Amino acid sequence: MTAYIIRRLLSVIPITIGVMFITFFVFRVVGGNPAYRIAGKNATATRIAQISHERGYDKPLFLNFRQFPRHLLDAQFPQVCWKLVHFDFGESVITKQHVSTMLLEGAGPSLCVTTPLFAIELTLGIALALLAAYYRGGWIDRGLVLLSVMGMSVSSLVYIMLAQYWLASQWRLFPVWGFESPRYLILPVLVGVIAGVGAEVRFYRTVVLDEMYQEYVRTARAKGVSSRAILFRHVLRNALIPILTNVIIAIPFLYTGALLLENFFGIPGLGRLTVMALFNFDDDVVFATTFIGSILFVLFNALTDIAYTWADPRIRIK
Amino acid sequence: MLPRQVLANYAGRIILVAFLVANSPVVLAAEHAKSVLYGIGGDFKGFDPVDCGDVESAAQVSRVYEGLLEYAYLERPYRAIPRLAESLPAISSDGLTYMFRIKRGIHFIDDPCFPSGKGRELTAEDFVYSFKRIINPKLESQGDWIFINHVLGAEEWAKRISESKSPADYSEPLPGFQALDRYTLQIRLRRPYPQLLWVLTMPYAFAVPHEAVEHYGDQFRRHPVGTGPFRLKSWWPNYRIEYERNPTFSGQTYPDKGAPGDRAAGLLDDAGKPLPLLGGIVEYDIREFYTVWQMFLAGRIYASAISKDYFEKVITPDLGLSPELRKRGVRLYKTPELSTYYIGFNMRDSVIGQSANSVINERHRKLRQAFATAIDVKRFVEVIFNNRYMPANSPIPPGVAGHTDNPYPYEYSLERAKQLIAEAGYPDGRDSEGHPLRLSMIMPGSGSTDARQEADFYEEALRAIGVNLVVQQLSFAEYIRREHDGETQVFWAGWVIDYPDAQNFLQLFYGPNQCPGVNSTNYQNPEFDRLYERIVSMTDSPERTALYEQMVDLTTKDCVWALIAYPLAYGLFQPWFQNYKPHAFPYANAKYYKVLPH
Amino acid sequence: MSADDLPRATFAAGRPTDVIPAASESLWRMAWRQLRQNRLAMVCLVILCVYTGTWFYAEGVYWTAKIRGVIPNYKISHYEIRNEPPSRAHLLGTNFAGRDNLQQLVQGTRIAFEIGLLTSVIVIPLGFVLGALAGYFGRKLDSAIVYLYSVVASVPDILLIMSIAYVTRSAVDRSPAMQSVTRYIDSGLLAICVGMGFTGWVGLCRIIRGEYLKHRERQYVLAARALGASHGSIMFRHIAPNVAHLIIINFSLRFPNLILAEVVLSYLGIGIANEPSWGTIINDAKQRLWLGNWWELGGATIAMFFLVLALNIFGDALRDALDPKLRTAEAKTG
Repeated sequence: MTAYIIRRLLSVIPITIGVMFITFFVFRVVGGNPAYRIAGKNATATRIAQISHERGYDKPLFLNFRQFPRHLLDAQFPQVCWKLVHFDFGESVITKQHVSTMLLEGAGPSLCVTTPLFAIELTLGIALALLAAYYRGGWIDRGLVLLSVMGMSVSSLVYIMLAQYWLASQWRLFPVWGFESPRYLILPVLVGVIAGVGAEVRFYRTVVLDEMYQEYVRTARAKGVSSRAILFRHVLRNALIPILTNVIIAIPFLYTGALLLENFFGIPGLGRLTVMALFNFDDDVVFATTFIGSILFVLFNALTDIAYTWADPRIRIK
Repeated sequence: MLPRQVLANYAGRIILVAFLVANSPVVLAAEHAKSVLYGIGGDFKGFDPVDCGDVESAAQVSRVYEGLLEYAYLERPYRAIPRLAESLPAISSDGLTYMFRIKRGIHFIDDPCFPSGKGRELTAEDFVYSFKRIINPKLESQGDWIFINHVLGAEEWAKRISESKSPADYSEPLPGFQALDRYTLQIRLRRPYPQLLWVLTMPYAFAVPHEAVEHYGDQFRRHPVGTGPFRLKSWWPNYRIEYERNPTFSGQTYPDKGAPGDRAAGLLDDAGKPLPLLGGIVEYDIREFYTVWQMFLAGRIYASAISKDYFEKVITPDLGLSPELRKRGVRLYKTPELSTYYIGFNMRDSVIGQSANSVINERHRKLRQAFATAIDVKRFVEVIFNNRYMPANSPIPPGVAGHTDNPYPYEYSLERAKQLIAEAGYPDGRDSEGHPLRLSMIMPGSGSTDARQEADFYEEALRAIGVNLVVQQLSFAEYIRREHDGETQVFWAGWVIDYPDAQNFLQLFYGPNQCPGVNSTNYQNPEFDRLYERIVSMTDSPERTALYEQMVDLTTKDCVWALIAYPLAYGLFQPWFQNYKPHAFPYANAKYYKVLPH
Repeated sequence: MSADDLPRATFAAGRPTDVIPAASESLWRMAWRQLRQNRLAMVCLVILCVYTGTWFYAEGVYWTAKIRGVIPNYKISHYEIRNEPPSRAHLLGTNFAGRDNLQQLVQGTRIAFEIGLLTSVIVIPLGFVLGALAGYFGRKLDSAIVYLYSVVASVPDILLIMSIAYVTRSAVDRSPAMQSVTRYIDSGLLAICVGMGFTGWVGLCRIIRGEYLKHRERQYVLAARALGASHGSIMFRHIAPNVAHLIIINFSLRFPNLILAEVVLSYLGIGIANEPSWGTIINDAKQRLWLGNWWELGGATIAMFFLVLALNIFGDALRDALDPKLRTAEAKTG
């Protein structure tokens, strides 16, 4: 077991290197020399050459075979990785801020939106899923399923636009924009829940129903256990495993924030930051966010598997 | 939101269609009693004059820092007046030496970076230091062009710094910048540079105290220590900036001279009052224009630019304000922006560019002329921009010396365009093998509705003469890279003037400025280059203006640009927001604005 | 078995449904019988047929114009009737260029289907072949493929899509071959389809891999191997028909998500530029909502709503009919 956990956690390293390789490839090979972006429009060729030299953009991309073997790693990619490993995230070309400061300042507002959004969506999703499963096949179940699928079939952009137009701008129930007090978070969270809860209900209902068709449920029912007791005592407990998995896997995404909500409702969070950086080809910011994002993603994936093995004795490791 | 973010690049000056925050600040309601709230449109780089290459940073930096000169707020044509200088400089007869007297008694704000905590008095040395920072290659300023190649010894100084491993040593002398005594600054030039007075009004040339730079290190951009009308109270990047009045700001009063009509407009009511008139400013960073407009409707926005899609509802056909808004007391401002939108042709391109072979060269020129003639700019301006823009007839916009009212030789005419394209060797737009000619055009603003509608229009116009024009809308970063690399065939572009001198436009055609320089079309014309080298050192005179006109004729004949339009900025303002006058260089104007109780 | 995919595969294998695969024809027939009894699913099937009809019609309009070398009707501007409200002549009004909104929506249907189709052209071969190779051969090859998809899954989708779109665009301007391709397909459409294709194969690959892991130990596979069948033949002749339904399920669940994703991509400015897609219509309409212009946004939202809804419900029903035990795993990856 311990060996498995260690192996699983170590898998973070090669995957993160792979992710950084792709990101680096996209930004340095495809995106061209960042010196252009730094030098601005009035730049001359000598100025660009000078910036490239100063910042090492004129070095070989991946490995330095010209000075093999002593300076093999004197190339751009190893240096980017080396800096990231030291959590030296560099500086944004666009805002001239330290990337670490930008990330720290953006994480708070993002979490302020995503955490309540996630919690409400989860509780509501599971509650409605249980309700549907309890009355499975009945009109409540069908209605709930239909409603959640209908909710999933509208673009989240439309939800945001309509909510902002009617609830905030026309009826003045909420502030239109801003990040001043908890009151400002209500509308984005509400819109996020409406847009996202359908998928949750559908998923958790499937999970619960999957459990309900198991042998042991049939046995319990044959023994005369009430269906409510079956649902809450047996089924829910066993369904906790896939639910837990789903929750853990979603956690890294809390950090990345909700881009559309942040943009429309003025939350100075990480989602907006990341996408702005992507569009501006702001290398250091993108490297840092993908680096942290992928580590979190892989780590939590590993945690899920470990939790799974630990929680469900049926799963053995070969 | 980013695809729609204002792409005006103050030093780079490529502008995106949509709307320009530069001229029409989005002003939000005052939740805080005396403050005006603005919306910020772009990525703000922090409070360092070295990094104010974009409209947004320039505006913020101008709230807290100041330079030797500034623009007169109300007077037109634009005029540079002294700000931290006592008067306009004494210029030697050869035009190579400028002597500035610095005002006495100007102090930086109180700040812990000074030994006593009290703001130190501004001296000529501060300008020497600040100017050296601009050309210090280690700081990677986009504004070094204002001094490099002009100021005596600037390149040598920069080269020495870039070659040395240690950080820049500002005590190293630079012959071009010298403080002769505590209050006298001398600037010496390599050759006459009449634009110097204009560039000294730019935020790049603002004075920073070396104590602050040394004390705060890489946090300097978060701790502005200036002499400006406001000082920073708090800054939450990507969200909010708050300023308060600088209590030690003094010596400036509201102007008592204006252009004709200013008095009637009430712009001179505050003449003689000490500046700034506002107690403070709070600005929010709103990227999504949909949201901005929602807030306007919700009554929280008191000024806004007008998106073209709202235009019909807001502006009546005769370009007045709609009754609903007029009832609310909203006022409308429109002003020419001193900028030109055009479609550039890459002169290195093998299909449409210049060629050494005179027959081919002539054919390609015909092709460019056919392109320009095929675009019905009048209709374009009418249907896409609700007559907000004026069709262009010269690269130099009206209001700048060198602009003429001569008719544009490539005005729309379908027959003529068809004739030209046939003469270019593509009868009905088809090449010798019978395939339609394919041209590829790039423009910035991917995702922008306006850009998409514009692209549609161009494609349709070229289709009418049988040419298959493919327009690609790129993200701004991508667009800039392609332009720098000269990796274009046809490109949409705009240029916003840096200072009111047509030289700023003409440099875009100067041969040695070609890619990756500002001459993105890579235009080469020895005659033009010869004239350009003459005019750069001439001061304003009828003779120079005549040369400007001659140079414009050369570029028009070669059809280097297909001219589109001069944009007009439209902005809406609530009645409580006073003393606003549209200005082509509005960065430092916040100190004149006033807010009535509401 | 590699550690990465352990829970899901084991979870599925732990079920009592591990039966000998039925002959594939009867599986499909059984599924169809079950589907026919599901009234809601049948309604959705009818809706899907209507959309498919619309799609064919739109393709017809598009290709007729293309072949004749003329500009299709939906692309001709009539600036004198811009932004008109609904009327008898234009049931959903006109847009900024005076083009009929209904026609734009019809073309939007075409784009939506083309996105689904083009993306699947990449996703299905890539996901299926890699999944099959990994599951069937196991060992090093499996580890390599699992590593590959773990990496792809860990890169933010938007980054990959954006950069692939970027490369595609540059390629269009540089290579004549790409130019001839974009004579038929909008370059923006191609870009996002390639982008979404290269990010979307992971889900299918995981499922197929899991199935091959199971099937390679089955009696019929062992028998085929004993009879000397080649690996290729076992993989693609013997096992493939038994897992083919998973591709259809995967497609029907992925398709609606692609349609929704297109809207967000359009908002971000990575999208179709020269053809009317639902995403661009919605993004354009948002600016005019304030003027009481509800028909543009409403029309696109409703057009999208019914297609996505029908696909979702029908996809669910199809999955239940074809492979009930897949529900949990699918809901997670889809």
